[in-house]
Amino acid sequence: MKSIEINGQLRKETGKSETRKLRKSENVPCVLYGGEEVIHFYAHKNSFRDIVYTSDVFLITFDIEGKRIRATLKDIQFHPVTDEILHIDFIEVIDNKPITINIPVRLSGVSPGVKGGGKLRFRTRSLKIKGIADSIPECINVDISNLHIGDSVKVEDLDLEGLNILSPQTLLIVKVVTARGIQADEEEEEEEGEEGDTGEGEGQEASEEKSDE
Amino acid sequence: MLQPKKTKYRRAQKGRVKGNSQRGNQLAFGSFGIKALEASWITGRQIEAARQAVTRYMKREGQLWIRIFPDKPITKKPAEVRMGKGKGAPEGFVAPVAPGRVILEAEGVPFEVAREALRLGAQKLPITTKFIVRRDYQK
Repeated sequence: MKSIEINGQLRKETGKSETRKLRKSENVPCVLYGGEEVIHFYAHKNSFRDIVYTSDVFLITFDIEGKRIRATLKDIQFHPVTDEILHIDFIEVIDNKPITINIPVRLSGVSPGVKGGGKLRFRTRSLKIKGIADSIPECINVDISNLHIGDSVKVEDLDLEGLNILSPQTLLIVKVVTARGIQADEEEEEEEGEEGDTGEGEGQEASEEKSDE
Repeated sequence: MLQPKKTKYRRAQKGRVKGNSQRGNQLAFGSFGIKALEASWITGRQIEAARQAVTRYMKREGQLWIRIFPDKPITKKPAEVRMGKGKGAPEGFVAPVAPGRVILEAEGVPFEVAREALRLGAQKLPITTKFIVRRDYQK
């Protein structure tokens, strides 16, 4: 996992009005739990930019008024309309205690199916994993250089030794599907092969237009 | 056009759309979407018009998700009818939408195509919307 350091200040008071004051001064109220005690703190909203607007997972080292704590992101609340960060939950990382975390899935290689005109459908962008924080990788690489049109990769197809994946084994990660243009061309060719060229092209266009309507 | 297969009651009370959308306010399926900035009723016809505008611009590539469903029946009295004498006849269905609600989501097309397609779709809706992108999206 990538690591980052964030400075925070302890919250003297909690509650609605104090929280509003914090947000007004461009800070984000946060809570840290999972350890011996629950810590309420805050930090400037810009300090969370690197961990929120990315698919990477971070092992965060907080410096809260001299106390250093390692944690990972648990949950974020956003404003429904403005999408500003309202609140963040962190879970403390304790040595030798396994944590549950979502790890991003990265694709590598170029699929021959895509080269041949297929469309890549990247369905699962992260997988839930349980393990010791220091042994969890930055990401899970999925090689798609053998994916032809119609092929797919599921969780059960991955070779992940030493990782405890909590996501279902049948969960689809990525697949290559036939592009609609190619499908239409193939159908057209088949029709031409069967009946000869008696103006199916126009019929095809008309039927496509109808399905669109 | 989107509408329920069957309804328990033919007519519903008007109700009010209060506050912001507490659910369905984040992208769930696609990388791009449009989010409502106002409260309004969106009719099944408007949703269908928006869907057509988006799919035509995307040239039926990629995928589109409609995140709202018009399940509230609305009624209308005929023209030149005096008030009273009961509630009007069912006229169609609407989806009550609160600010923050994600209305459409798209995936499988480039950023510029998605933005233009969803802009065209948003023009068919009676409210102001904003274009949103998945937080970890990289161009």
